[in-house]
Amino acid sequence: MNKSEIHRHNLDKIFNPKSIAIVGANNVQGSVPFDIVNNILKSDFHGTVFPVSPREKSIVCLKTYKYVIDIQDPVDLAILVFPSSVCHLALEQIGQKGIKSVIIISAGFKEVGIAGKEKETQIKEIADKYDISFIGPNCLGVINTDPGVKLNASFARNMPSEGNIGFLSQSGALCTAVLDYAQSKNIGFSKFVSFGNKADISEIDLLYYLADDPKTKVILIYLEEISDGKALMKCAKDIISGIGKPILAIKSGRTDEGAAAAASHTGSLAGSDDICNAALKQAGIIRCDDIREMFDKAIAFAYQPIPKSNRVAIITNAGGPGVLTTDALIKDGQQLAKFSDDTTKIFKKKLPKTANIKNPVDVIGDARADRYNVAVTESLKDKNVDAGFIILTPQSMTEIDKIAQEIVKVSKGSDKPIYTSFMGATDVEAGIRILQQNNIPHYILPESMSKAFTSVYEFSKFSNGKSNNENKVTIKKNKNKAVKILEAAINEKKKFLTENKTNEILSCYDLPVLKSFVANTSEEAAEFADKIGYPVVLKIVSDDIVHKFDIKGILLNVENRNDVKNGFDSIIENVSVNAPDAKINGILVRKMIPTGEEIILGIKRDNSFGQVIMYGLGGIFVEIFQDVSFRVAPLSTNDIKSMVSETKSSKILFGARGRKLKDVESLYSCLSKLSELAVDLPMIKELDINPLILLDENEGCFIADAKIML
Amino acid sequence: MKTTDASTRVKKSISKVLKIDPESIADDANFIFDLGADSLQSISLIAAFEEEFDIEMDEDKALEVQTVSDAVKFIEGYLN
Repeated sequence: MNKSEIHRHNLDKIFNPKSIAIVGANNVQGSVPFDIVNNILKSDFHGTVFPVSPREKSIVCLKTYKYVIDIQDPVDLAILVFPSSVCHLALEQIGQKGIKSVIIISAGFKEVGIAGKEKETQIKEIADKYDISFIGPNCLGVINTDPGVKLNASFARNMPSEGNIGFLSQSGALCTAVLDYAQSKNIGFSKFVSFGNKADISEIDLLYYLADDPKTKVILIYLEEISDGKALMKCAKDIISGIGKPILAIKSGRTDEGAAAAASHTGSLAGSDDICNAALKQAGIIRCDDIREMFDKAIAFAYQPIPKSNRVAIITNAGGPGVLTTDALIKDGQQLAKFSDDTTKIFKKKLPKTANIKNPVDVIGDARADRYNVAVTESLKDKNVDAGFIILTPQSMTEIDKIAQEIVKVSKGSDKPIYTSFMGATDVEAGIRILQQNNIPHYILPESMSKAFTSVYEFSKFSNGKSNNENKVTIKKNKNKAVKILEAAINEKKKFLTENKTNEILSCYDLPVLKSFVANTSEEAAEFADKIGYPVVLKIVSDDIVHKFDIKGILLNVENRNDVKNGFDSIIENVSVNAPDAKINGILVRKMIPTGEEIILGIKRDNSFGQVIMYGLGGIFVEIFQDVSFRVAPLSTNDIKSMVSETKSSKILFGARGRKLKDVESLYSCLSKLSELAVDLPMIKELDINPLILLDENEGCFIADAKIML
Repeated sequence: MKTTDASTRVKKSISKVLKIDPESIADDANFIFDLGADSLQSISLIAAFEEEFDIEMDEDKALEVQTVSDAVKFIEGYLN
């Protein structure tokens, strides 16, 4: 068995143990070791508990053992609560006892510095020696609400109620806040895990475990750092597309120091959070900004069916909130359902004349439960409706509790999702409680219904549409030649490649590079220009110059032989003045590209996610407009199309305001080739193609300038 | 002072603070793992050693000492 398989096997005993040893327990009320014992007992755990304590004779009426090896019975799970200084001694005995599943609650490891990191390495080595899998260290613990297990192996204040949301968190403190928040909203959990320093069992192992857990319908995760982005993406794709379970994530740490030091446009535009955002999206993970947003969306997934399509009926007793919700729905890209004739006829017959029987249906302020019942029932029966949003504002005659009960009743008999918003606070409190107790998603703001619905609908499209989007384009390439060029440059300790070497590499992947020649004299330049035809471009070639425009090292639109010769001399002079220390390798001559849309394409190597591809509006203002998108290589056909379409400027390519349609197919082809290049050549640190000139439909595109950083 | 004398006096101090039989204290016993000392008791142990041997120890370094035999060596360092 490999490590992941060992973890999967051992994780089952972490969540479903029949016997637990709490190693390092004590009798000090309010201490972590005591509270862990107490919480396990309070949660009505269905197994046996063995406190292990060097001094105590008993803890909360349980006989103690001096050492874990003194326990005669088999033990499935050990919870280690000793101080970090002796965890290695305890873990050694746990290994000798044959216990394979461990939770290490103790702090004082990697999070406290070098000495702690050494201790963490030590316990990891012991774990590996005995094939032990452990969660932590430095964590709050684990909770399993399954009625057949009932385990609160944590020092959280309360055991949450049973539910179908699995929660994973790198932060223990956040866990306690989440439990408190969830309790106030009557939100239950299937499994609740604080995984701390993830020294052994990682978030990937836990995600796979929850993916296979029949009690978990939706997975939430809070991450502070992603150690293996590629593995996380693969895992998420397996779960979302393969099993069909949604993953919602909060990833903290949005600041970016690294981008500031980048040498290329791509490097400076591709901040680590932009890349993380793109990667999570690409993998189908729904990224949330905060806990409220996460749970707003989680309850929609956990409590209600997935809609077949995105046509929504809105039922309200007040016009304003109905309009607000409609605005939000349309802005989020969803549709307002058009009722069938049959539904309209029923509404005409059963609702008052003053009611608005078109969507959004306004049952009017004096509506009681019977009127809501008609509107909700008939809307959801309509074949043109995929989901219902129900809004209530509390008027003096509004039967708040009764309306909530009617909604529950209708929801139970329908296979379409219902989301609710009882607006207000005190008056609607009892009604909201009824909805929450019966798993009807409720939102304080009606606009939040639309946000949650959009996430669910987008997820359904993503998980259903992922199977057939692989990039199957065959590319004519010469990988060996490209590798040789790069290895030679790396051996010479070069930081970036000259333009002609960059072009050679791009040509190896059939990217549209124009033929060029490096001239050492003005005569050579003129002869080559005569051969390829005018106008031409002249550019300085030097290992020491990255930004050629800045030092007047480029001449565009050179029209004739004489101008080429003069241009050659003036570039040499400009460089000798503006970059006197630069070693000049010659002047590159190539044909001038006709005018078209300027596009930027790029590659950036990210420590966690690997090679990342950038697309955007190019030119010299690329950093100002920042209209760019990112995807992790390799790119699928869907990735390529979506990364182009999600930029604001993409409309320009598709004929906005009477412009000619651009050759988007050739752009897609370039992105596909660039993806292959990125995967084949991981030694490239950054690559900029800026600009790629995209011509009109069927006319192709050309690379005007490119650079590779090593 | 002989090591055996120091060891006996260290065990006597441990016995007082942790309320355990000095005979049951092994030389290689770990204060936390084998004798069950918590963080407050660790501080009390340092105070008891200082009183017993009439020395003043570096508290941070003293807290790093994990076993009875290491404590004896640590204290002897001050006595010599």
